[in-house]
Amino acid sequence: MTWVALTFFGLMAFGLPVGYVLGIAGIVGMAQIGGEQFLAMAPKRFFAGLDLFPFLAMPFFILAGEIMNRSGITHKLVAFADALVGYLRGGMAHTNMLASVLFAGLSGAATADAAAFGNTLVPAMVKNGYTRPFACAVTAAGSIIGPTIPPSSLMVVYGSLMGVSIAGLFAAGILPGLLICLVCMALIAAFGRRWNLPKSDKRPSLLRILKAFRESLLALVMPVLILGFILGGVTTPTEAASIAVAYALLLGGVVYRTLAWRDLYEMLARTALITGVVFLIIASASILGWWMTFEQIPQAIAAGFLSISEQPAAIIGMILLLLLTIGLFMDINAALIILAPVLAPLTLSIGMDPVHAGVMIILALNISLMTPPVGACLFVLASVTGERVEAISKALWPFLVVEIGVLFTIAFWEDLTLFIPQLLGL
Amino acid sequence: MTQAAESGFQKVAGLAALLSHRLARATEVIVIVLLALLVLDVWLGVFVRYFTDLPLTFTEELARYLMIWMALLAVSIGIARRAHIGVMLLFDRTRGKMRHFLLGVLDLLALFLFLFLFYYGIGFTVDGARRLTMIYDIPKSVPFASVPVASLLAVIQIVLVAIRDQAALMAEPGSPRATA
Repeated sequence: MTWVALTFFGLMAFGLPVGYVLGIAGIVGMAQIGGEQFLAMAPKRFFAGLDLFPFLAMPFFILAGEIMNRSGITHKLVAFADALVGYLRGGMAHTNMLASVLFAGLSGAATADAAAFGNTLVPAMVKNGYTRPFACAVTAAGSIIGPTIPPSSLMVVYGSLMGVSIAGLFAAGILPGLLICLVCMALIAAFGRRWNLPKSDKRPSLLRILKAFRESLLALVMPVLILGFILGGVTTPTEAASIAVAYALLLGGVVYRTLAWRDLYEMLARTALITGVVFLIIASASILGWWMTFEQIPQAIAAGFLSISEQPAAIIGMILLLLLTIGLFMDINAALIILAPVLAPLTLSIGMDPVHAGVMIILALNISLMTPPVGACLFVLASVTGERVEAISKALWPFLVVEIGVLFTIAFWEDLTLFIPQLLGL
Repeated sequence: MTQAAESGFQKVAGLAALLSHRLARATEVIVIVLLALLVLDVWLGVFVRYFTDLPLTFTEELARYLMIWMALLAVSIGIARRAHIGVMLLFDRTRGKMRHFLLGVLDLLALFLFLFLFYYGIGFTVDGARRLTMIYDIPKSVPFASVPVASLLAVIQIVLVAIRDQAALMAEPGSPRATA
């Protein structure tokens, strides 16, 4: 076990990509168990780690998000959000946050959200008198709403691996996502007064709201449609994701006519590349995951936790601390695949509902997307806006604090998470 | 390194960069076709399930195998573009010979992983020939072959980009990612 841990942490620190680290650490583990037949297990686990039908939803949601982005649908959603809250003090920051909620229903990944808004809203905010680090911080804080509100790739992975209803996780993510938006908007409102954030001279107008709503209606219908299909039990998440692709193509290609054939090639190429990067991590993590199961590491970690305290509140606190810490330096897909089999049984043993536990684990990992040193959203924002990661991190910490507050609220308030799944009978 | 040797190495690196680029573009065309087929296959599955009584059951199995082939082949494109990201804190703080050395070690480790998966993947694929898939009754070696084939592509790309980026570091000290 020592060799595997040394390999894992050593190679991570040296900067080896996480997909490679997981595979090599798994191979070291198998070599340690002994014998050729264990080494020959590696490609088998590598393949089996991907051989799950629900995983198909991931490339489809990525593709649908790419199409929506490329066809200018993001702009329509931003315009709608602006009509609703743009007139407030700090209006563009509020718009950014609300647009993240609207965009969340179209995309499954936080980095897509960060990249889209980093390119458009951040420069617009800077032009209107916001500091760039603050504009980036608002975007980063909003970007984790995307994978919390369905559809969410992480929920697909968690549900597939742990045998938890993906529809249930999707439904349970809605309120926590909205709560994050609300607390962040409250924070922006508080900053607005103290820092005298810019205020637009636009008046709130019902006519403008209705006009923006009408223009973005077809885009807003998509998440409703997709979630309706999944939550209503009409289609599987994978089928719904494929319908999302068809709908997005129809909007971009036929209704708005903003897509060309050449765009399609680029969007497919980008989707394949992103899928390849994520799937390598998943496949390699399943080599290491097999070794962990063989060595009964999950049981050992669970016993370690329980030896410190058997109080449910203390266990939940330790789980959240572990997730937030691991998320500091590990890709969230990898962290999820490695840690979910360890933590899920532990949450069951203290009587947590599997869907509630799943949403809590996923939200904790989502928050780690914006914590340095390896927060993916921070890096995406830094690269598209040219701002330094350190400056964004400095402006980000108040948002981080309130979002961690939301995480703890969700962890200890089961009814909030389970309200919608129970309402829908999931 | 003498100036002549360095200029020779730069020529080899130029060729490696070109080969890597062409190989990645060719792989890209294949994965795009696979992804397009995958989308069409799942659409067909949805259409058949909700609008016809046809007993088409192959779409799910085909979709899984298309997805795995597509994603694993795309891994090599990610290598060519250095899109597989690690924690770069240490690497970004190194300069000169140390940076050459660290990049070399990282590429050698990646090479080890994919050579391993290629070698054992062949045995895995051969074993699969004796078993049939659930719906198609085709040998399982057809989907299993994605592991050694994708690993071999990854090995070739790692060697090519290692040469390309070592030369780029030599010519202009900076991040190898800048050349991607």
